[in-house]
Order: sequence, then structure tokens, then C-alpha cells
Amino acid sequence: MTNRLNRVKSVARKVGGIRRLILILMAVSLGTTALLDFFVVEKIFGPLVYLYIALSTIVGLYVIYPLYAGRRLTKYYWVRVKRNRLAVWGLGFILFLILLALIGPFFTADPTAVSFEEKNIPPLGFTIEESVYEPETEQFIAKTITATGEHPLGTDNKGRDLLAMIVSGAGVSLQVGLLATGIALTIGTLIGVMSAYLGGKMDNILMRLTDVMMAFPFFLLLVFIVFIFGPNLAFIVLVIGLTGWTGAARLIRSQTLSLRTREFVMASKALGASDSRIILAHLVPNVISLIIVMATLSIPGVILAEAALSFIGLGDPNVTSWGMVLRAGQQSLDTTWWVAVVPGVMLFLTVLAFNFVGDGLRDAFDPRSAL
Amino acid sequence: MKKSWLRGYIAKRLLFAVIVAWGILTVTFILVRVGPTSPADHYLANVAAQGQDPSQVVAAIEARYGLDRPLHQQYLSYVGNLARGNLGWSFSNSMPVIALIKTHWIYSFQLILLSTIFAGVIGILIGIFSAVRQYTKTDYAATFLSFIGISIPNFWLGVMLILLFSVKFGLFKTYYDTSLSLLSLANFRQLILPVITLGTGMLAGYVRYTRSAMLDNLRKDFVRTARAKGLPERTVIGKHVLRNAMLPLITIIMFDLGSIVFGGAYLTEIVFGIPGLGRVSFNAIFAADYAVVVAVTLISAFLILIINLVTDITYTYLDPRIRYD
Amino acid sequence: MEKPILRIRNLKTYFFTRRGTVRAVDGVDFDLLKGECLCLVGESGCGKTVTALSILGLIDSPPGRVVDGEIYYDNVNLLKCSPEQMRRLRGKEIAMVFQDAQSALNPVFTIGDQIAEQVKLHLGVGGGEARQRAVDLLGEVGIPSPEKEVDYYPHQLSGGMKQRAMIAMSLSCDPQVLIADEPTTAVDVTIKAQILDVFQRLRETRQMSLLFITHELGVVSEIGDRMVVMYAGRLAEAAAVTELLGDPKHPYTAGLIKCVPDITKTRDRLESIPGTVPSLIDPPRGCLFHPRCDQAMAICSQEKPPLTMVGKGHTVFCHLYNGIKGNGEQ
Repeated sequence: MTNRLNRVKSVARKVGGIRRLILILMAVSLGTTALLDFFVVEKIFGPLVYLYIALSTIVGLYVIYPLYAGRRLTKYYWVRVKRNRLAVWGLGFILFLILLALIGPFFTADPTAVSFEEKNIPPLGFTIEESVYEPETEQFIAKTITATGEHPLGTDNKGRDLLAMIVSGAGVSLQVGLLATGIALTIGTLIGVMSAYLGGKMDNILMRLTDVMMAFPFFLLLVFIVFIFGPNLAFIVLVIGLTGWTGAARLIRSQTLSLRTREFVMASKALGASDSRIILAHLVPNVISLIIVMATLSIPGVILAEAALSFIGLGDPNVTSWGMVLRAGQQSLDTTWWVAVVPGVMLFLTVLAFNFVGDGLRDAFDPRSAL
Repeated sequence: MKKSWLRGYIAKRLLFAVIVAWGILTVTFILVRVGPTSPADHYLANVAAQGQDPSQVVAAIEARYGLDRPLHQQYLSYVGNLARGNLGWSFSNSMPVIALIKTHWIYSFQLILLSTIFAGVIGILIGIFSAVRQYTKTDYAATFLSFIGISIPNFWLGVMLILLFSVKFGLFKTYYDTSLSLLSLANFRQLILPVITLGTGMLAGYVRYTRSAMLDNLRKDFVRTARAKGLPERTVIGKHVLRNAMLPLITIIMFDLGSIVFGGAYLTEIVFGIPGLGRVSFNAIFAADYAVVVAVTLISAFLILIINLVTDITYTYLDPRIRYD
Repeated sequence: MEKPILRIRNLKTYFFTRRGTVRAVDGVDFDLLKGECLCLVGESGCGKTVTALSILGLIDSPPGRVVDGEIYYDNVNLLKCSPEQMRRLRGKEIAMVFQDAQSALNPVFTIGDQIAEQVKLHLGVGGGEARQRAVDLLGEVGIPSPEKEVDYYPHQLSGGMKQRAMIAMSLSCDPQVLIADEPTTAVDVTIKAQILDVFQRLRETRQMSLLFITHELGVVSEIGDRMVVMYAGRLAEAAAVTELLGDPKHPYTAGLIKCVPDITKTRDRLESIPGTVPSLIDPPRGCLFHPRCDQAMAICSQEKPPLTMVGKGHTVFCHLYNGIKGNGEQ
């Protein structure tokens, strides 16, 4: 048993650490499954699942584990964050959203269930008057529609339950937010650190590439790509991630550059540490706080990007997202105004929550702020 | 102030800009050609609805768009066309793309200009005020409101404003009237809601950036020196602190222009029906009019490139400490 | 005897922070006579800079405040002046030179601009004349080719030049009083000598009173006429420089002087005063120096030492001399 353990350890040492070993194993297994999926067997996993597994492994290995390994430091920062009431509210709201997305679908109706008898029902507490054309009498008569407990948030003009749509949208937004941000930040971090550490020609090339990416206005580029390749949720997530890494790359590069010349790095080098050890053990932990702050502050942008795409009609038609609901609401603004109000409020509160948390984290990590 | 190295710097930046411009062109070209749909496919859908013979049409389109030629030839003619200012033909509007752009760019321009003035003037003033009165109720209120401002999805804000002021209160029309002369009061009136929509997010952002830039500089030693010289407080803040705070602020504002403002303008035009380039491009998407979409994307990317270049050079004039050699 | 141009009586400046009230200056009296150079001496944190800032009304108002005392400039109590009156006085009647010239100068304006703006404000002159005045001043402080350097930005000047430029700036409106806050501390030895030279020359050519703040006794002996020693926000001793350095009465002053290494003697260890400066938030009762004093008596921990005259113009705050009259008799 110990023999096997020792063999694993020696392999790990050759690749540069246990975590890197796990990363490689995961990449290989995902890669082979993907190939099998594509060529041999009928879809085992949907594309989103791959992204999930890949991302959770990376986050788990390189973000969660370091936070756990430095528990005392993590606790210190947590105490500082807690002092910011707005940030705590934000965290609470996000947790509520997560619960809503996970448990909600079990308690709500099918968001895609269309029903013409139940259309245009207002939310609880409102009644509306509608003038309906009766073909028999060839007249418009006024009908009052009252809210029912069955549809606490009302229905849209096709009879779909708004609460169900909101719950479904919560799940979509959270997934898109987490996945796309994860992709964008992973790419951005890799490019930023590589660029800063390797320097010279590599740095130049990578930075020119970043400049080209950054010259395109983010949203227009998104629209452009989705227009060409078609609206599919997994693809949209991938594209948002692949186009949104530029800010992260720049920031991480400048942070790494400034860290590289700091005394503790030079001291490490003087003690004989290897390059990769310096990167992983010293630079990465210092950059992690920056990454965490950037993550929380990028998620709202990502969520809004997906919502905006759905709003203008370029979202995945098979998925009920808040943007899509907003679009439906806008198109029948005079009859079902609540369909336009509620998803917007949810988007607003979600973005607000992440902004509060991100700001609170940034203040907590900044040693100069008076907490 | 003389900077002898400035010419060399400008030359270098222009060179980089050219490289990035080439990168933009190439990336756009690759995306379009690599995409699973070709311009022909979309056109075919239209054509089939009109009852013509598809295979002939395909041949005609491919010949017209040059899709039957090898890839590198297509690329060269693409670049050549762009250099000559030929942006292609918009079949959904029956006019050359360049003519389409000439007629519609002014609507986007006026929207962005007015929103930037609105957001800039008010935002920076509030930011300065907030920083100077740090820790007072005004500061907390301004900070909280700016959080809200940057969190509101601007397309939703537009819809809500329409709901309130056009549908419920009937104060504004729900569509944009192009018959009104651009400099007329009526035109400004109908631009009120769109400018508020686009400007709110920008304003909130400016408040935050200005406040933070001012706060950073208010603590510095030269502020104490300025006061020790007997300068009135408004000169200390308005001249000494502001000049230092403006430097990072300008870069941030220009940087935001690309990512946030253009995207925001796009959505605002769609919500309010303003016939600017964003809306034109959007309509082109649903008509599968490739040439227009490509053209608008390219133009916005180039605009951002130029703005960044101008900002960088302006910055070197403003900050005497910078040397780029 | 010359008239005092600045009279400070019982000045108390406190800072009200979350962790407590910091008594930065806790009852300080001294006079600055017309035309003299008075050195305000003490280690870092003893309240010298806060005293200077209190004179000019530059204490950051939350969290600091002058809670008591009077500051008379030419018979006007500055602490009772309106902000506008104080503003007109700053830079014109009383000017200040700060310690770190790099951070004290505004990096985005030329030094010429920064000098000229003060001249234009207080003396009402136009741009051309103000600029010429700036050039003259730069020449007076010993900057070579001032017509060129007047258009330089602070970062283009060396440390010594920046310090001179700041001195020039402070002189621009011919102030009666110049307060210099450790102008030689942040520079190296050769520049130190040059800056002191500048101050010496200025004293000879202008009739200016100089309040010179420093913690270096060598500088004091070079430039000072009289000196005041502060400790933890209160006064310890005050006298003419030669008298005090030759015959220090207060144990703290004596300790300070002993700390200066003597290059002519061979020693194994450097002298130091044991212990640390007390917290200014919760100062101990009685004399603030008594925990570190090797001559402390019982009364030192009970009562604040009163002022005693121990010689001509030589005052000390120490229980050792309590009741001794000026001529040395009990």
C-alpha cells in the first residue's frame, strides 16, 4: 500500500505537484469522454456538464484548497467582510437565489406550459380590466381578471406562470454567471501570469492579442458571434467566457509584474526556489484575492450579457431566462406590465447583490482600508 | 511642455494600432467564413419564400460574394474593399452599406454624445462633492445611489421608463420620430428618456471613479502645502487635487467607452426604436444581412482603437511624469 | 530685548480617534522673538509638527482640534480668527516649509507655477511679474540657472533642489515668520549642509523669524539662537542654544545630548535612553518622562512638574529644580 502511495508521489513530483497531477488526470478523462461522446456513443453528457466538471476541478484545486490551507487568513478576511452590512445582505440574497434555483423547480409549475385560458392573470394584489372581443356578439366587453393563488406572480400573455419562469431564470442566470466567469477568469489568469512571468516577446504577442480582443465592444462581439454560430446556451456561456477574459488578463498581469520584483520573491529566488514553485507558492496566493474580487464583480456583467442577448432575441429559445421573460413583457407592455417588471427587478437585485459582495471583498482584502 | 520622445512614441503607437487593426479585420473575417452558416444560406431562405430556383441563386450569390474563390483570395479582396471604403451591399435595405451608415450614424452619435455629457458633468460633480464631504450623509447617499445606478440593467430601465412615462402617463411617445429636425427642441424632448437610460449607468460609474480618484489625492501632502500657501479651498480642490485626480479618471472613462457605452447604446436604440447604427445592425441580423453586421462591428472596433490611441497620447500631455521610451 | 512676534500660551491640540483621545500637544508655551531662530526639538511623535500645524490652523479637523490655548501673532489671537482671516495670513505672514519636498510639491505643475500662484494670490501681481519673482527667488536660494529651472517639474529636480524650491516658495510673499518642519531630515549629509547654508544666508539677508523644527542636535547647534525641547506633547526645557547644550538641566535633555556619539572618544557601546515614549492616549500621571528617568523621585509620578527658571532665559519643567530661583539659590 505504501509502495503504491510512494509511486504516486514520485509521479506527482515529476509533473510538479499533486494538484497538477489531478488536473492532468481530469483533463485526460474529460477529453476522452468528450471524444467518445462525439464520435462513438450517443450523448452521454450535455456540453454544460463538461464545463461544470472542468471548472469545479480547477476552482476546487486552485481556489478552494488554498483558502482552506490558509484557514486562519481566510477567517481573518471573513471577519472583515462581515462588518460590511451591504455585503452580508448581498451574500444572503445570493444564497436565497441558489436555493430558489435548486429547490424552486420542485414547487412551481412548468415554465413553458402554455395555456390560453389562463393568460394575462395579474400578480397577487392586483386586478386588471381587459377588453375582450366576443365573436358571438361582435362586441368588446370588459372583463375583470383577478389574481389567483395558483399563479402568485401572474401569467404572461400565453398563460405561462411567471413565478415558474422566474425560478427557471434564476437557475439559468446563476449557471451562466458562474460558468462563464470561471472560463473567463481561468483564461485571463493563465494569460496574465504567463505574460508577466515569461516577459519579452511572449508578453508582447499576448498583449497585442489582448488589445485586439479588447478593441471589439464586448456586447457587439457577442451579438456578432451568436448571430453567426446560433443561439445555444452552452455555446453562449462558452463565448462569453472566451470574449470576456481581457480585463482579467490585464489586471493579473500588472499585479504579477509588480509582485515579481517584490522583495519576498527575490528572497525566494535567493534561497533557490524554482520558477514554478515561486509562481505557485508565492505569486498565486497574492493574486487569489484579486481573482476572487474580480470574479464577484464580473459575474453581474456576465449575467447581464446573457440577459441582454435573450432580451433582443438571441438567447437560447429552449431555455427560460430572465432576459427572455423581459422580452415577452416588453412586447405586451400595455396588457401584462408585471411580466416586464418582475424579471428586471430580479436582475437588478442579483447584480446589486454581487456588486455589494464584490465591493465588500475588495475592501476586506485591502490592507489600507480602515476596517 | 516639450517632449522630444513624443514623436517616436506616437509613431510606435500608430504602428501598434495598425497591427491591432489588421488583427480586428482578420478575426472578423475568420469568424464570418468559419461560421456554420454562409451568407448564401440565409439568403436562400428568403429566396425560397419568393419561389425562385435555389441552385441558380446559390451560384449567383457565390459569384457575387466571391465565395467560390479560394480563401486567401477572398481575404485579399475583403481587405482591398475595406481599404477603398467599399463595405459591401445591404440587400435588406437595397443600398450600399456605406450609404446606410452615412444616413444612420448621426442618431447613435447624438445619443452617445448627450448621454456622455449628461453623465460626465453630473457624475464628476457629484463624485468631487462626495469625496470632499466623505463620511457625511451626502457621501453615503451618493455612494449607495451609485451602486444602484450601476446595477440597474439599462435595457430594463428603458422599458420601465417607457412603461411609466409613455404608457401610464402618456408624456412621451413610445417610438422615435425621425421627421423631427435634429437640433429642434422636440428632438431633445424625445431623447430625454433614452439619454436617462443610457446615461444612468455611466453616471453612477463616473461618480464612483471620480470619488475614488479624489479620495486618493485628497490625502496627499501637496494638498497640505497648497493650504499652507493660503490658497482658498476651492482652488485647492478644484485646481490642485482635481488635476491629479483627472489623470487616472480619463483613462478609465475612455476605457469604459468601448465595453459599456457602445453595448449600452446598442440596447437603448433597440428599446426606444432609435434608428442608429445599433438598431440598423440589429435589424440586419434578423434579415441575415451579413454585410451590415460585419460593417458595424468593424466600425465600432476601429472607433475604440482610435479613441484609445487619442487617450494615450492625451494622457502623456497631461501627466508630466510619464515617459514612454 | 526684541519683541516676540509669536506667542504661544498653553496650546493643547488633541486628536479624537476611535481608539481614544490622543493628546498630541498638551500645554505648550513659548515665544518666538522677532528675527531669531528658535529650534523646536524632540524625537518623532513628540508633537513638534502638530504644534507648527496648529499655529497655521492646518490641523485636519476631524479628528483633530485645538482644544485650548492662545496663539498670538503680532497681538492677534490666531485661534480666534475666522477661516478667511487665517487663509490670508498663511503664506503671506507665516509660511511653512515641509519635510519631504517630493510629496509636498504638486507633481503636475512646474515649480515656477507653484511659486507664482502664491505671489499672484497674496500680492496681486500679474503673470509676468510673478514669474520673474519666482526666478529671483530660485536664484536667492542658490538654484543654478533659475530661468531654466523655473519651468521644471518637481520630478525633474534632485532632492536638494526640490527642498530649495520649496524654501523659495515659502519666501515668495516675504513672510514675517517661516516655520521649517525638519527640512534637513529627509536629505543626505552633503545636502543637509547646503540647506542649512541657505537658511543661514536667508537669516542674514532678510529680517525673518525662523521656527526651525528638528530632532538633530547638530543642526540645532549650527543654526539656532534659542531652543525648546519637547517630550510627549509637553515642554521639557527651553534656553539659548549654547547654554542648554552646555548645561542641560532636564534629565531628558541631558540624555539626548549624551546620545550623540562623540567622534573623538572611543567607546564600546552607544548611549541611549532606556524605555519608550509613553502613549499619548493614556499618559501617565505626573511627569511624562518619569518612567525612564534615572533621577525620578516620588513626586514625579504624582504631579506635573511646574515651570522653573534656572538661569537667564533658561526654563525647565522638572521636580529636581522645584523652587530653585534664577540665581541658583533655594
